[in-house]
Amino acid sequence: MVIGEAKPVAEILEMIKDFKKVVVAGCKGCVTVCNAGGEKEVAILASELRIARKAAGNDLETLEYTCERQCDPEYIEPLDDLVKDAEAIVSIACSVGPQYCTARYPFVPVFPGLNTMSIGGALEHGVWKEFCQACGSCIIGDFGGLCPITRCAKQLLNGPCGGSSEGLCEVGKGSIPCIWQLIYDRMKNLGQLHKMQEVKLYKNWSTSRDGGLRTTIREELKQ
Amino acid sequence: MSMEVVVFACQQAVPEPDAVKSLWRGGEVRLRVLPEPCSSKMEAFQLLRTLATPVDLVWVIGCEEQLCRYNEGSHRAGGRMAYTKKYLAEIGLEPARVGRSVLTPGDESALAAIIAEISDRVQALGASPLRRAPNTAARRSAK
Repeated sequence: MVIGEAKPVAEILEMIKDFKKVVVAGCKGCVTVCNAGGEKEVAILASELRIARKAAGNDLETLEYTCERQCDPEYIEPLDDLVKDAEAIVSIACSVGPQYCTARYPFVPVFPGLNTMSIGGALEHGVWKEFCQACGSCIIGDFGGLCPITRCAKQLLNGPCGGSSEGLCEVGKGSIPCIWQLIYDRMKNLGQLHKMQEVKLYKNWSTSRDGGLRTTIREELKQ
Repeated sequence: MSMEVVVFACQQAVPEPDAVKSLWRGGEVRLRVLPEPCSSKMEAFQLLRTLATPVDLVWVIGCEEQLCRYNEGSHRAGGRMAYTKKYLAEIGLEPARVGRSVLTPGDESALAAIIAEISDRVQALGASPLRRAPNTAARRSAK
């Protein structure tokens, strides 16, 4: 899922300082799962904004709604009734959400209430880690199902480097496992250690951000 | 300026919410007691929304953690209280405007002590800055 993290409230207050009535829009997708932009977080942020503004003697009215998703135009539509009465939108979806709101409401200012952090998963309640950089040509099948692009600080294809010590990466002061140690352990478990002797010459980066803005097309689904 | 305290009380911890009112010595401070099935029923956003109304102090009374009928309910309520205080600190409102107490269900003397603590707290804090804010006051007087 996409991992999001709430922006500091002070930053959001600064963005909306000129407005008296704003929509706080959440998303029931990824950011609900990572407790950053779901229904509860909408209510928390809206309350915080109202309290802070009221204490400053500059009342703010908030309208709350949590979209089924903010990354599909049809799920932005239910905001219409709220937005027509509001001066601005604070979206606490990943950064796709504010951009969809911007597309639908060309004359309404839209602000992000989250920082979009990574594509990843939960390690434990309240802890999320990056697992994918969306490079567009997945090679983890060559590495026992583990991603050296995301999880190796140097993105090595033929690791480990000399900074791997006792299973830990030199980056992170001993807090980050060396992915190449994990790949070695995994390949050993699978009886495929010999595959690590094959030199990987290069990776196709044209499918990553280096190739420019990416559009994914499924012809059979297009209408 | 009149003040108001809202108490969310676990029904196990405080089986008779009216008893809280009879113990109240807060003078002119209005007290509202809202029974809840468990203190963990209270979410951070509900505490914040209550404070935003505005209310001067919000308190949650629950059972001691090892006595919680729902096992982890009281423990979770404690966690939520902690991060509600963090939210308040972030926006510059006194974290002390929310509070939580736990007691053994049926312990009347403990309940009396908690009510006294709530009364002392609201008197020490005074009216919420949300009441004192000029914009709000002006709007009230205009009504």
